[in-house]
Amino acid sequence: MVEVAENDIVQGHDLAIGYAKDDVLLSGINLTLKPGEIVAINGASGIGKTTLLRTFAGLLDPIKGQVNIFGKPKGNRGEIGYIPQRLGLIRHASVNHNVMLGAKAGHTSAWFPFSRVCKIHALEAIESVGLKHKLRTPIRKLSGGQQRRVAVARTLAQKPRLILADEFLAELDEETLNIVMQKVLTYVKENNAIMILVEHDFERAMQMADRLFTAVGDKLIEIGEGIVPPNSTIVG
Amino acid sequence: MEEKPTPLLDVWYQWRYPMIFLTLFVLAVGVTNSTIEGNWQKLFDSPRNIQTFFSESLWPPDWSVVDPQAYPVCEKPEAFDFMCSTAWIGTLETLKIAFVATVFGMIISYPISILAAENISPGWVSYPARIFLAAFRSLPSILWAILFVIMVGLGPMAGILAMTLYTVGYLGKLQYEAIEGVAKPQLDASRAMGHGWLERSFGVILPESANNLISQAIFMFEYNFRHGTVIGIVGAGGIGYYINLYLKFLQYDKVFAYVIIIFIVVIVIDLLSKFVRSFFRDDKKMRKHPWWTIVLPSGLTIKLMKKKP
Repeated sequence: MVEVAENDIVQGHDLAIGYAKDDVLLSGINLTLKPGEIVAINGASGIGKTTLLRTFAGLLDPIKGQVNIFGKPKGNRGEIGYIPQRLGLIRHASVNHNVMLGAKAGHTSAWFPFSRVCKIHALEAIESVGLKHKLRTPIRKLSGGQQRRVAVARTLAQKPRLILADEFLAELDEETLNIVMQKVLTYVKENNAIMILVEHDFERAMQMADRLFTAVGDKLIEIGEGIVPPNSTIVG
Repeated sequence: MEEKPTPLLDVWYQWRYPMIFLTLFVLAVGVTNSTIEGNWQKLFDSPRNIQTFFSESLWPPDWSVVDPQAYPVCEKPEAFDFMCSTAWIGTLETLKIAFVATVFGMIISYPISILAAENISPGWVSYPARIFLAAFRSLPSILWAILFVIMVGLGPMAGILAMTLYTVGYLGKLQYEAIEGVAKPQLDASRAMGHGWLERSFGVILPESANNLISQAIFMFEYNFRHGTVIGIVGAGGIGYYINLYLKFLQYDKVFAYVIIIFIVVIVIDLLSKFVRSFFRDDKKMRKHPWWTIVLPSGLTIKLMKKKP
């Protein structure tokens, strides 16, 4: 097995997460993700999946343990692409503006966020999710599915090394879903990025991910061969 | 464990809001009673007094205020000679003061309000910024006006400076409250991506809270216009100067005419606000109601408008 350098991996070491010390949602998490790896997290609602993503995104400090994002506790600028469940798009701004925000994060410095390269990356990403004709449309005038595609485009334009996606395929019709899914998976595999996704749909999670975890009680259990997740609906 | 519903708790849950409001109302009446020392008779005498004042001094309004002034001689064509009147000159000057003060105030207050917003700035930045804004706000604009009349002399300059400072304090508070209302996912995504302060302030927060910011700025413009009448009294220019003049001579019918003009301008500004904000609304087509519905409660407007297809 090939050893991977510490600043190429994403790692959670003995993590306990939650919003308060006396209200720990998940604990004892040990997770090491290597480049090119896709991990899905599954579990009942309210169990702490989103909290785990927020902890990896650096939005929340872990109650116990350490997070290591490419050698740093919170990662560098533009290394983390986060798609929240409610997308976090700017409703009054255009598709282009929203995607440019991602592109700027990924390709410029914080104190001089202007570069021609951003435009190219943004346009590419918008085209790849099939929204080129909506370039100047404000987000609030798009349908739910289209908004989701904008959020994905924002992350693709950013070219992050770690993608954190929270239910990012919800509300999409079958055809668009496959396109968007393929785009993201190809991106991850081609760029040796890492992806953590929260996915309710167990079968889709199996289809996309290399490894699958499920949250039960306050533990995160890796599902391997022979272990069937509780309350799952696998047929056959 | 199941919670046992008790009859008392049930009554409380069903009636808590009316009960809270009733308690507040009774409390307010009680405080009023203690403040006026039980002398309610004055209140019952008041309609008669206002009727006398209205019929003898206010009505009819004296529209000579829109006639051209005797000096300087009016050089406008006759149809436009109202443009030489004190009402026109005063209103225009007050509008100009209000406009300039709102624009400058808005530009100055936005960065401060970003610093003051608790969801994007740490506590050691936001609290000093809040205290700073509160300091500007705690002096009423008329006191600022007196201060600046002393500093730069009588005239519109003092008015502009006074109102700008007051606008910074007042608008800043409204703005940081709007910024704190920006939804979490937007900020989360921005933070995770690693945006800097500059990008987050102007790329994320500004467009996201645009609707609120615009409506507040227009409200502030209207507020400044109405207050322009007050600060005119201390000699800081505008329509207030003339109102003060006629108040001194007890010519209340002329003052009443000015008040009607101010009311009309306020309505026009309100219409403008509705129009501008309609560009930032979620519904794709906002129905534009006729202008006179502004004086009606919104529920009644909707009812009235529904009847006509």
